[in-house]
Amino acid sequence: MSTISTALRHFKEPTKEQLTQIFFSLPALEYGDDAEKSGGQDVSKMDINAVLSLGEAEDSYAGKLHIMPPYLAFSSLDKKSVRFTIPLSTIRRVERLNARAGVYALSLLTWHGMKIIVQLTSLRPTADLFCSLLRDALKVELQRGQMKLVKNFVKTCYSEVLISDPSNAAENEREDGSLISEGKAGASQGISYHGGLGLRFKFPGDPKKLREASKIKLWTTYLKSHGRNLTLLRYPQCTRLVQVGLPNRLRGEMWETLSGSIYLRFSNPGYYERLLEENKGKTNISTDDIEKDLHRSLPEYAGYQSEEGISSLRRVLRAYSYMNPELGYCQAMNILAAAILIYMSEEQAFWLLEVLCGRLLPGYYAPSMHGTLLDQRVFESLVQRYLPIIHDHFQVVDVQLSVASLPWFLSLYINSMPMVFAFRIVDCFLCMGPKVLFQVGLAILKINGEQLLQIQDDGGFLNLMRDYFASLGDSAHPQSSDPRARAITVFQELLLVSFREFSVITEEIILSERRRFRGEIIHSIESFAKRGAVRNLRTLGRFHKEQAGLIYDALYKAMCIVPPPPTAAPVPTLFTTGEGHEEKPETRIGLRTFRQFLSEIATWARDEKIVMNGFQQRIERVVAEHEFIDRLFYFWDTGCHGALSFQDLISGLDGVMFNDLMENIEWFFNLHDKNKDGYLTKDEVLTLSESFLFIFRYEVGDAYLGAVSRFMTNAFEYGDALLPPPASDSGLTDNEPSSPPPIASNQPYLNLPTFRMVVLADEVLESFFETDLSESFKLHPLPEMELPVSNSGILGDLWSSIATDQNKKMFNMFTDEIGKTIGKHQVVNKPSIGRYTKLEEPKARESLLTPTLRKSLSKASLTTSSSSTLAPSSLPSLSVNTTLEPSTKSLPNVPDSGSLSAIPMLQAVNAAALMERTPFAIDDAKDDEDEDDDGFLGDNDHDDEVMDEVDAFLEAHDSGLTDADKAVANDLLHAEPLK
Amino acid sequence: MADGASGSADKSVQVKLVLLGEAAVGKSSVVLRFVSNEFQPNKEPTIGAAFLTQKCRLEDRILRYEIWDTAGQERFHSLAPMYYRNAQAAVVVYDVTKASSLEKAKSWVKELQRQANPNIVIALAGNKVDLVQSSASSLSAASPPDSEDEADDATATPGETPGATGGEPESLRQVPREEAQAYATEAGLLFFETSAKTGEGIVDIFTEIAKKIPIEHILAATRGNTGRSGGGASRAEGTRQSGVNLEEDAVKGKDACNC
Repeated sequence: MSTISTALRHFKEPTKEQLTQIFFSLPALEYGDDAEKSGGQDVSKMDINAVLSLGEAEDSYAGKLHIMPPYLAFSSLDKKSVRFTIPLSTIRRVERLNARAGVYALSLLTWHGMKIIVQLTSLRPTADLFCSLLRDALKVELQRGQMKLVKNFVKTCYSEVLISDPSNAAENEREDGSLISEGKAGASQGISYHGGLGLRFKFPGDPKKLREASKIKLWTTYLKSHGRNLTLLRYPQCTRLVQVGLPNRLRGEMWETLSGSIYLRFSNPGYYERLLEENKGKTNISTDDIEKDLHRSLPEYAGYQSEEGISSLRRVLRAYSYMNPELGYCQAMNILAAAILIYMSEEQAFWLLEVLCGRLLPGYYAPSMHGTLLDQRVFESLVQRYLPIIHDHFQVVDVQLSVASLPWFLSLYINSMPMVFAFRIVDCFLCMGPKVLFQVGLAILKINGEQLLQIQDDGGFLNLMRDYFASLGDSAHPQSSDPRARAITVFQELLLVSFREFSVITEEIILSERRRFRGEIIHSIESFAKRGAVRNLRTLGRFHKEQAGLIYDALYKAMCIVPPPPTAAPVPTLFTTGEGHEEKPETRIGLRTFRQFLSEIATWARDEKIVMNGFQQRIERVVAEHEFIDRLFYFWDTGCHGALSFQDLISGLDGVMFNDLMENIEWFFNLHDKNKDGYLTKDEVLTLSESFLFIFRYEVGDAYLGAVSRFMTNAFEYGDALLPPPASDSGLTDNEPSSPPPIASNQPYLNLPTFRMVVLADEVLESFFETDLSESFKLHPLPEMELPVSNSGILGDLWSSIATDQNKKMFNMFTDEIGKTIGKHQVVNKPSIGRYTKLEEPKARESLLTPTLRKSLSKASLTTSSSSTLAPSSLPSLSVNTTLEPSTKSLPNVPDSGSLSAIPMLQAVNAAALMERTPFAIDDAKDDEDEDDDGFLGDNDHDDEVMDEVDAFLEAHDSGLTDADKAVANDLLHAEPLK
Repeated sequence: MADGASGSADKSVQVKLVLLGEAAVGKSSVVLRFVSNEFQPNKEPTIGAAFLTQKCRLEDRILRYEIWDTAGQERFHSLAPMYYRNAQAAVVVYDVTKASSLEKAKSWVKELQRQANPNIVIALAGNKVDLVQSSASSLSAASPPDSEDEADDATATPGETPGATGGEPESLRQVPREEAQAYATEAGLLFFETSAKTGEGIVDIFTEIAKKIPIEHILAATRGNTGRSGGGASRAEGTRQSGVNLEEDAVKGKDACNC
């Protein structure tokens, strides 16, 4: 038995505002105050054109300054050169600068004395508004006491140690023996900063080879002038430094800063500890799964051969599963968590995991893993576009890309490559976003293009990839005469190809490709789930698989429209099934969903009005509500769960759809025999009659009404006649006036044989039970359900606003009004059975009893508004000159084949076999020293060489400013504040 | 990778085999026992699927098993078709000490029979049988394949409690052998009770699968593809005899390709 989930249908494309938040790595508004803020948003948010300047060392950049309390964020116009996100609480002083006329500039001073100058280049009133918002937001932060928290928080950041005591932290850190100095630093500082297992168990890789000291020195310099942790400003140099690989000791902190998880940790102090405390000792499926994998997570790392590392890993994974029980735990998260715990404290790792699972790898680890499947599809499509020859070859030999690439994405390459290299990819991934995964993946395929064209099967593909990953540390050009070229590793070449040749893969492309394939993926997941659900049924009854599939479709549709209550978990386990089998979670639907479900299948479980107004004829369908339907629900709930599973529905329908006359009569009888004693009480006879009336409510003519009336007459007369003592010998009726013995309305009254007799006495009822009842259940293919509207771009927005149900209703009402005016409006209720289309009166069988119709009996309100024709109303006519197009269902597919093919640059290169290596910057550099000889002592000259590698990745950065603008910006650096 | 040139010597037949089953029933351990992966005492976690190969000899044929060891966690289920498509054989594993794992196994069998290659040979393996045997009997039944290679614990799924064999071992058993056997017969499966820990029954599975696989059929189907990457070193073609040989080969891991 499986669960059925409609969760994928609830997907919504992020709004523009959400995209901005995502771009700046801001925490989504959750963890408590969601509801309030979503209501009163926008009031305090604003963005404004601005020019950012920072000291003389950096160029000024034009961009947009956003205030999104409690954060201030900036992004340069090209969205990649310069950006920052800083909490307002780190800003200590804001001054308006005294500058040339017409220039409106602010100086922002952070808590550690860094001066950021922003020149607001929008119109004056806009700038004034922005300033007042900024002032208010700062005041709020002050009142919340956030300002005070900053000092304590930054103590947990290693960068502060680097800055404040460079002699201790950086100088002592030799290229070779970082651990020795670590001991000293730790002792003298009392280790207040957060760090990972690496501090105790060593970091992977050789610190000398990794040039740790040079990197630390470069970072120290950068962080001194550009802020750090909460206040880090990301200039091009920052990205470059990330691309050469973060130094081990700073890595954890930079990861949380670049990914934005630091803001979560900052704004939720103590949350992690509390979460663990509150859920202490709690076990569930997730914690069981976690337990199985703890010893399988980077087992080769020393830290995970000790209890310390294992229990850290356990706590972080558990805490995450407590916070997000819906996701819980997915294999591969253990690898991610184990990897980041080498560099981060538990709390840091916890929040980074949240950012990874929630924002950076959306849906990757969800129960359906839809994000993983989607991105695999996207990756495949990118391969098809940029490496068509490889793609075609894979098609020919039937090799599936995902067998290799799925773990790449799912474990951020950590499971595929040697750790030192994988972590450098993680560095870039956290700095530059999810596109990195795709860029690296494409580069891997491209570099191996020639051999890939030789492979014949999945196995060969995997072996090739494994060999390649094993060679990442080798020289890419072992034969080269140039020592510098020899020094280039296969891994460096990989990054080079990734970021240079596949720089065309942008975040926008990824997003639009995801939009393009989302429907396909959802569809395939759903149909996979459907096949599984049908296959896993205990019994199909007399249905074919296809029919069961149709029932599943109806169920699924009903669940989409009326979602079952979310907490379907704790089913009262009074009735433990089987011998101690653990009950697997199984989707069950409640009464409301059942009504919806039944209305898809049974003609009488819905009210269908045929509306004609001269313009259109449409059928309006409303789910019917009646006790009869509720009765059916409980009748089918054989396990007394108060809810029905797919199996229950199949079995229930099986019990009625294949019946012959006698079986149907019995079925109907049993349905109304609540206590199952084989007798209907008087009350139940009345209820049963009401059920008839409900089913027949829209039949044309009086035939059915008459039949029900006769039924009641006969039922009571027979019932009275046959009352115990069962004098039910031969004579059907001694029509004697023997007054019926008084019998309470809830006493056993009518048994099955009698009921059968009464039914068979009537032609209409007989034919109802013979065929009509079974046929009133109809299984037919449902039209493909629309997927959630992807409101991409203006067109999407427009469409989604036109095609809403609301507007369809408006349109319908509108045409109805017109119809009424011109006298063509007509509403007909569609009959559920529709046997008699004309008003004819079938005669009753020769009645054994007096055929008097006891109208008095009709306790039931016999409102059979069989066909009501509304008279044309004389409403003031509306002028009809707007041409309204009927809202069709087809939503525009995100048109992007065009926009994407605009970058065929790489198509030419994709003959991967002939890959021409772009010359490395490093190749041209002066060849002053043979790098192979390890003669590295950390001079300043050599520090710069660390950067050589990355110069190759350099992209042009555009400050977006003219020279004149730059002059103004420079002036501001020296401007005096206004009072 | 030892012997990287994938075998395409005259009589080598490639057989794609997939392992399926609930999480923690010991799929990976079964494979590791068979493949005897001596280079990796700590196995890498199964993300999606792990891929291993092993060669064996059956009569005068060399079979090259390409083994896809899938992740057992329920949410990876939807990825499984990627791995079992085109598979010629499948080993569906359950845990004899866990009744629900047989139910899951049955559902895998159903899925394979409906969705996979119609000629697929399916074997049902009730693993962890060592937990329900007294140690004496398990010793006699076992044919430990690679005695010197690795500690037994290395292949045990964490959570497996080998120590529990004492006391009344049969009480741990939740799936009677007869019940599983009856099901396997009815569904047309090969059936074994195995212990990755002691090695009992492991080689037998692969031997019996090898016997049952329509080798000629596969050969005919793949004939067109053979001859690629032809570097396969000439294999010692000893004159040994049928099933035993396969066992011995596997035992010694002589041709084992631990990639």
